[in-house]
Parts: sequence; C-alpha cells; structure tokens
Amino acid sequence: MELTFGNAATKIIGSTGFSSLTIGDGTMILVACVLLYLAIWKKFEPLLLLPIGFGCLLANLPFSMMASTDSGGLLNFFYQGVKHEILPPLVFLGVGALTDFGPLLANPTTLLLGAAAQIGVYTTLVGAVFLGFDLKEASAIGIIGGADGPTSIFIATKLAPHLLAPIAVAAYSYMSLVPLIQPPIMRWLTTAEERKIKMEQLKPISQTVKIIFPVAVTIVCCLMLPGVTPLLGMLMLGNLFRESGVTARLHETAETHLINIVTILLALAVGSSMTAESFLRLETMKIIILGLLAFCVATAGGVIFAKIMSKLSGGKINPLIGSAGVSAVPMAARVSQKVGADEDRSNFLLMHAMGPNVAGVIGSAVAAGVFISLFGDPMVGSNHAEISTNIIATISSLPK
Amino acid sequence: MDPIVLTSLAVSLIAISVIFTVLIILIFTIKLLVYLLPYQEPPATKSSAQAPPQHSSASTTVTPDIISAITAGMATHLGKSPQEFYITQISPK
Repeated sequence: MELTFGNAATKIIGSTGFSSLTIGDGTMILVACVLLYLAIWKKFEPLLLLPIGFGCLLANLPFSMMASTDSGGLLNFFYQGVKHEILPPLVFLGVGALTDFGPLLANPTTLLLGAAAQIGVYTTLVGAVFLGFDLKEASAIGIIGGADGPTSIFIATKLAPHLLAPIAVAAYSYMSLVPLIQPPIMRWLTTAEERKIKMEQLKPISQTVKIIFPVAVTIVCCLMLPGVTPLLGMLMLGNLFRESGVTARLHETAETHLINIVTILLALAVGSSMTAESFLRLETMKIIILGLLAFCVATAGGVIFAKIMSKLSGGKINPLIGSAGVSAVPMAARVSQKVGADEDRSNFLLMHAMGPNVAGVIGSAVAAGVFISLFGDPMVGSNHAEISTNIIATISSLPK
Repeated sequence: MDPIVLTSLAVSLIAISVIFTVLIILIFTIKLLVYLLPYQEPPATKSSAQAPPQHSSASTTVTPDIISAITAGMATHLGKSPQEFYITQISPK
C-alpha cells in the first residue's frame, strides 16, 4: 500500500481517540473527573472513589480497551475478580483482620441494632419494585442500605450485574456522606436528654471467647445461609488471624498489603464497568435516589430500635448508637460519638457504637445471604457453573 | 395493589425475620460463651501489685510527656481547657 502524506495523516487522525469520542464518552469522562474531584479535594472515601474515578476515566477513552467489557483488556482481567466473586470476599478478609469484635462481645444485644438498620435494605427493595425494577434488581439496589461496599458489589454481581456500576458508585458515595446524612436524622429522632445518656463501661472479654466467636459465627450463619459463606467466611477468617495470636504475619498482611492491593483491583474494576452504555440511563438516577432513601431509613431504623431498647433497659442505652447499625465501619460509630459529644462533651460513645457498627457488617452480610437464598443459587455462582460446564465440554472434546 | 409489590413486601418481612432470628441465635451463642469462659485478670497485674518497692521508681519515671498526655485526656474528658487545672500528684494504684 502506498503511503502518501494525505492518507497517512488521515490514518493517524482516524486512529486517535478523538475521532470516535461520543457525547456519552465525554459525559462519562466528566463524571470521572467529578469523582476524582470529590475524592481528592473533598476527601469523600478517597481510597475508593479515586481508583473508581480513574477506572471510569480509562474505560471511556475510545480505543483504550480498558472497559470491563473489552475482552483481553487490562481492566477486563481485573473485572474477572469481581465477576467470579473473588475480590469482595478478599476485602472482607482484610476487614475481618482490622475489626475488633470486643465491643460487640461485651454487649451482644447491640447485634439487634445491626439487624434493625437492615430495615433500610427492605424499604428500598419495596421502593425499587415500585419504580419498576424486578425483585432481583430491587434486592441488589436495596443492599446499598447496608452501607457495605463489598457486599453491595457481591450481590449486584450475583443478582443484577448490569447494575453493578451505579450500585457500587451509589454505595461508596453515600458511605462517604455518612457524616452529612446521619446527624440530622439522629437529632430529629432523639431528644437532648436521650443524647446525653451515658452508658456503662464495657466489660472486658476473655481472649478465648474472641477466638471462638469467629468460628461460631461461621458455623451458625453459614449453615443457615450458605450463600453468604464467601463473604462471612472470609470476614471471620481475617478476624481469626487477628485474635488467634499465632498468625501475626498473615494478620499483618491481611490488614495492610492485601486489603490495599485488593481495594485497588476492585475499585479499578468497578470504575471500568462505568461505561456510557451502562451508566447513562434513567435507572442510574433511580438508583442514586433509592440509595439515599436506603441510607436514611437504615439510620432511622437503627435509632428508633435503639430508642425502644433504651426504654426497655430503663435508659441504659443511648439511642445515638443505633445509627451505627449501618455498617460503614468505623465512620458511623464516629458519627454517633460526635453527635453525642455535641450534646455533652464528657459523653464517650465511640466504643459503645462500635458494637452495633460491627454488628451492621454481620447484619448486612446476613441480609445478602437471605437474598442469595431467595433469588440466587446458594450452591454455586452461576459463573462458576458456566466455567465448570466449559471445562467439562473442553475435556470431553479432547481426542482420546 | 400490584402482585410484585405484595411479593416484595412478603420478601421483606421474611428476610427481616430471618436476620433477627440469625442474630438472636448469635446473641445467645455469645452470652453462653461469655458465661462459660469469663474474663480473667492477666497474671501480670498480680505481680505488679506484689512489688511495692517498685512504686517509687515507677512514679519517678513519669515524664513530662506522660503528664502532657494525661492533661490532654483529662481536659477532653472534663470538657475544660488544660489551663483550668493542673496535676499535683500521680499515685500508683
């Protein structure tokens, strides 16, 4: 082929991304820049929103082959970790290694607050059905109310993979807005007297109980809801690394390097799924609104239930710790501490709020397990079944 | 009402019941564990209590940094400015 100046220039221009940049791509690049702005300058969950934003930016550059759907592209490989449910459980391993269940063990009734906050999940489920989503999609959207990013991604991948991008972005965005969303609801639902309630100091817990607890939770919860085993099993394994005292190196790796690496892969993979085709839809706007509803109702559910517990216990429980029943560890607990301290600077609620906060992690994982039991295949992931079928077919076709 | 909305309400009720059931089972499991395996003071506390001669040396090791940290903690706890009080004595327990 003869290469003249004219056709060489045309070929080079045609090979640039500018030649096929659509309005959708441009809009998504703008969305990516907004996410980067929120992460860097507003400090909204920067560890997640920054790589998500950058993944979104890469995915929407034409010919970059960086979208999650671009087979053979770099981020497509990362996305396999989401698709095959590998990365969210690994994040949970790190979360387990970071979490001290001591406050929960010292006051186990706070587990009920973790359950009460899941009301947000189910209110949103009904709301999503009203807005025209089917039950599987509504379940995936509702889990945003659990304020737990990895669980939201896990459920979205299983039940509504086409909604993964907006669900993940809504979940992480609202998690970062917990300090803005929760306080007005907490103040609105409690009186000044209730906010001043001082709680008794937590009793110490024996190390043996702390070691047995993750094993007991795994046995009880995973037998009742097998679908939740990847998430809860990894959470409890991470915690066992922490509490056993015999796996210091594994504990250190899980709570630092592993969770950091997995967070980068997970966030980039989620960002790479934010293409114009999957994100610029009316459903995204509905999910953003439903996500806010989920967070508000979850907070209100926790606070109202804590008020009931406060009345029943003769005023021994400060209702503000109820809002920490949404997962968002440890931010939701910090919000309880701050709102309590605003009323009485000598009131220290942080450790008391950590109980419902970690209960929220277990509660949202259990809520996810219920959804998998109802709408998913609890035995194997559909993708795993597909892979197994492909492998069997390949082996069968081999010459004997 | 639309049947799918009724189904979603039923799903919500069942799911929230399952969550409460699972977590109530966990509460009783924890209570049983804490009852069977109560917290015991670590033996290190005993040895320090049996060593009164060390008190004087321990009190002499209270550095200005430790005083500053205690003052800051007390100020936060009491809701006062650190200038409003001062620590005169630190006694070993």
